Amino acid sequence: MEEVVLRLEGATYRHSVYAPLPLKPWRSIKGPGIFEANISLQKGTILGLVGPNGAGKTTLLRVMAGILPLQTGCVYSGSDGLVRTEQQLRQMVGHMPEQVRWQGRKTVRQALLELGEMRHASEKRIDKLLTLVGLTTRKDSALSELSQGMRQRLTLGVALLGSPEILLLDEPLNGLDPVGAAAFVALLKSLTEKGVSIVLSSHQVEGLIGIIDRLALMHRGHILAEGTLEGVAKSLKLDSKTEIKGTGSPPRFKKYGINPSQVHLEEKNGYWNALLEQAQPHLLTKLVNDGVEITEWSIRQPNVVEMLCAATGQSLEDVGLEVASSAYVPLRTFGGEEE
Amino acid sequence: MNDFKRIVKLAKRLTFERMFSTRMYIMLPVLLLFIPGMAWGFSDPNIVLPGGHQPESAMEVLFYASLGVVFGATMCAVLLSYDGVSRERASGVLELRLSQPMSRAHQSIAMILGSWKAILIPTWILLLVSVLVVRYRMGEWISLTDFLVYFSSTALILLWYVLFTLLASSYTREQGTAISFGVGMWFLFTFLWALITTMVAFASGVSIGQENDASWVMLEGALDLLSPNGVYHHLLETRLPQIDRGISSWQSWSMGLVWTIIPSWMFIRRMEKILP
Repeated sequence: MEEVVLRLEGATYRHSVYAPLPLKPWRSIKGPGIFEANISLQKGTILGLVGPNGAGKTTLLRVMAGILPLQTGCVYSGSDGLVRTEQQLRQMVGHMPEQVRWQGRKTVRQALLELGEMRHASEKRIDKLLTLVGLTTRKDSALSELSQGMRQRLTLGVALLGSPEILLLDEPLNGLDPVGAAAFVALLKSLTEKGVSIVLSSHQVEGLIGIIDRLALMHRGHILAEGTLEGVAKSLKLDSKTEIKGTGSPPRFKKYGINPSQVHLEEKNGYWNALLEQAQPHLLTKLVNDGVEITEWSIRQPNVVEMLCAATGQSLEDVGLEVASSAYVPLRTFGGEEE
Repeated sequence: MNDFKRIVKLAKRLTFERMFSTRMYIMLPVLLLFIPGMAWGFSDPNIVLPGGHQPESAMEVLFYASLGVVFGATMCAVLLSYDGVSRERASGVLELRLSQPMSRAHQSIAMILGSWKAILIPTWILLLVSVLVVRYRMGEWISLTDFLVYFSSTALILLWYVLFTLLASSYTREQGTAISFGVGMWFLFTFLWALITTMVAFASGVSIGQENDASWVMLEGALDLLSPNGVYHHLLETRLPQIDRGISSWQSWSMGLVWTIIPSWMFIRRMEKILP
């Protein structure tokens, strides 16, 4: 079993929501947030945090970064046991928030030096970081002159100040061009090889496959499932699927013992495309022997969107679009008690 | 590097950033006109102030010239600090700062010192110029004690305005709200305070504006302790024996301490709890 570097037990943080009453204009109630979250981060792995808008991903990352204090629950670090203060947590963690809009006449290097002083980072370390995030040629550029991708790189540079053992990345791929994104992923992989543990939150769920080692699904402030991709799929009872493409007439799948309700078939201009709900490893041989013209064949693992839909019990449309409005309602009924 | 050194280094960076900002270049002519300009005007040997009064000493001239600090330097303090927290909060940089292991109290102190020094250094330089102007025009130096009181009182009033503005900046999410609060507060203490004093005097049955009426002078003196500008003038008046408004030196300095400690404590506490 891999070494756990950070563990959250029963972590709860609920945002204060302004809810005035005519006779109590200052009234606020406890609103959305994260609810009794349990999560473990293992050394040298990348944990993907996935959930619809408003699921609580950013709140969870801020709690893990020591920015928001825990209201209930505990944080344990692998080496030192119970983490007693947020400051202790911040020492271990590098945090990359979503979309930092760097602005002003300050240069890239000056910005890093300023924040570096809070972590005792030397000038040599700053110059190394500039090289690492690919900003050496722009080190003397004013912050206002940076493109969105360069701002992302600078924010990553700040997160890496002080060589943290844990890196929390909130939507890190936003604004990066494809080449930059690929380089970014390669950088993350090299960091994990050095033992850095990474939590990566992203809406771009498909892009996460191949990057992450473990997955945590979040919805309405709860962590619904956590584990390896296979483990999560298994816990959600999701099977692998078979995807077949061919030309001519599509085969009659019932003949091969496959329930037609589990086959999604599309035909267009002499081509057909079939998606079978279960893995059918021996079907290819049978189809070829029967002379069916097959152009493509694959057995694929359930993707993250399917896992999210299965975990939340929602349809693709709900997760993609509608959930933003309902995400503020916790799964369990909380009283909305006054603070 | 110990915590104190870290605070000083961070404050130095912030000072440098703000002192050489575009807005400082815009405000510098205003400061030049208000501070040494007023010293030049009030040190004219032929000047006659309202009521036929003529300044008698170099310190008295500098006391009148302190209006330049009240009108110009405090406004510059507001304009330099109004986005001290709100801009970084809006851009997301505050979240990066808050995720650093340096304690939030220390970060806040660095923020206060940085913003304060950015306005204090140019103001002190201009005050020094004023002292030289007065010496040139009147042929008289102020005493060392006068010098220390004048410079430390000015430092304090600037600190108070920086603190109020930073505090407002930490509560507002929009920079427009932060600057409105800062300018509104400046307006209240600089222009409207006289109106408040008048209203309180009216409500208390004291005759208004009678400079020879001891009860009016005492009331005005007492109410001035509740305004930073008033405390500033009380502090300067500790070096002018001819002025007696019923407030002793220790009361003035104690109020100066109160105006320093309470907003500092409030700002540090606010920053310890601030959400990105």
